[in-house]
Amino acid sequence: MAEITLRQVAKTYFSAVPVRALDSVDLDIAEGEFVALLGPSGCGKSTLLNILAGFEGASEGSALIDGGAIGKPGPDRGVVFQEAALFPWLTVWENVVFGPKMQGVPRSDYEDRAREMLATVGLKDFAQSYPAQLSGGMRQRVGIARVLVMQPRALLMDEPFGALDAQTRMAMQELLLTVWEKLNTTVVFVTHDIDEAILLADRVCVMTARPARIGREIPIALPRPRSIDDLTTPEFTRYKAEIMAEMRSAHRQAETTAA
Amino acid sequence: MTDTSVKQAGSRPAGMAAPGSRALGSTLPRILVNSGLAQIVLALILPVAIVAIWQLAGTNGSLFGGVLPTPDRVVSAWWIWAFGPKGMGLNPYSGTWLANVIFSTQRVAQGFLVAILVGVPAGIWIGWSRLGAQILDPTVQMLRPIPITAWLPFSLAVFGISGFSAIFLIALGAFYPIVINTTQGARHVERNLVRAALMMGAGRFDILRRVVLPAALPSIFTGLRIGLGIGWTAVIVSEMIAVKSGLGYVLWDAYYVGRMDVVIADMVSIGVMGLLSDQLILLAERWALSWRLAGAR
Repeated sequence: MAEITLRQVAKTYFSAVPVRALDSVDLDIAEGEFVALLGPSGCGKSTLLNILAGFEGASEGSALIDGGAIGKPGPDRGVVFQEAALFPWLTVWENVVFGPKMQGVPRSDYEDRAREMLATVGLKDFAQSYPAQLSGGMRQRVGIARVLVMQPRALLMDEPFGALDAQTRMAMQELLLTVWEKLNTTVVFVTHDIDEAILLADRVCVMTARPARIGREIPIALPRPRSIDDLTTPEFTRYKAEIMAEMRSAHRQAETTAA
Repeated sequence: MTDTSVKQAGSRPAGMAAPGSRALGSTLPRILVNSGLAQIVLALILPVAIVAIWQLAGTNGSLFGGVLPTPDRVVSAWWIWAFGPKGMGLNPYSGTWLANVIFSTQRVAQGFLVAILVGVPAGIWIGWSRLGAQILDPTVQMLRPIPITAWLPFSLAVFGISGFSAIFLIALGAFYPIVINTTQGARHVERNLVRAALMMGAGRFDILRRVVLPAALPSIFTGLRIGLGIGWTAVIVSEMIAVKSGLGYVLWDAYYVGRMDVVIADMVSIGVMGLLSDQLILLAERWALSWRLAGAR
């Protein structure tokens, strides 16, 4: 579990025309908190996640995890990618134990945990299958299991359910809620789906269009444990209306600055 | 340009069936076309017809005034070459077929192995590391336009009349397609796979061995198949000139003494060996890339 602090983080890509992707982002994430970064596609929210993961460096500002500067990517920050990014040449089991193996953890220390994680995501019987044999939702469950096996301090999820059909997505959201309520890991969850953000998160950060900034932070006080039944409650609708208004104004702002 | 043509090929208008599945009026021809036995029969029509015409066109066992032997003469020449008694009688080729096949095959195998051992790591390095590309790629690209046949005198001067000469040419010829295809594969590894491995704590060498290499494997096999074909070309060319054994040596020697029946039997032998070794690579590919076929099973 980890505390994440971003201070004046900015990112500029120096291509032929310099592109400012992120502009002075301030964000404090408490230990065990579930934060959703909500914004339109291409707004730079993935860039922010990549900085947290260590895949990219910030151009300005500081990004800290538990008080220390975020460095190279590592198993303390488990990343779940949009398209799962499993190794297609490894079986489900080999994918799940890849992390501990790379870190030189003795087999006896991770085998039980890996088996338990596979059971948690409901893929006990698919350990010897290859990713090509799985559906999109199953692949993403492997992607989650292989990260949880490493017992990361923070979970970074980049639109992990964005490519799934509506029904599978809901099942995955419920699964994530169950798992998270058990483990209480810090989660940063990038999405462009308002329902998803409200359903999962303790706090929704609405991001403005490029260059992205955090426009508003909206704490979600819905009681836990939550389920997809919450999607239809009046409180949920109220949050949704508030966030939609926020996103619309952010969108308008972006259009006037662009014009 | 290529984009649109690919799209057009992919999205065939409704009503137009793929060439293989086109309705042939009734279902009977389609069953015939699709069954395994029928495919073999269809494949054999053309070669059998050519051999038959070739046989019937000859008189007294030859065509074109004695230049080209008919198939029956070729078969009997091969029979003696393969199973005849060894010794320096009237027929110096008698009973030497297997030995020559083994000589050539061994050289191809050795040269090919060298090409793999050098070409795959070099290709991974060029495709993966910018430094590798800057150091190695210009040299490879500069040497590549020199045909392997042009290396023959060089090879002869350095290695003399020996098997090494052939192995050098085979290795060189097979090296280029292997290194180039491996480079392609290593260059186009999905970025998120590398990121995932980094995130899980993989080191530089782990990334190369466990991500880049397997990701490049399909391209590597493409290179291996092309390389092996060039290897067979190289072994024949070099045995014709730089070595005194093997199928290439017999080919040229038989031509000089006017034994066209042995020449043709030799050509067929080369073709069969090339086909068999290609099948071997295909088998290895199917085994190594079984994860790709898993979805289809």
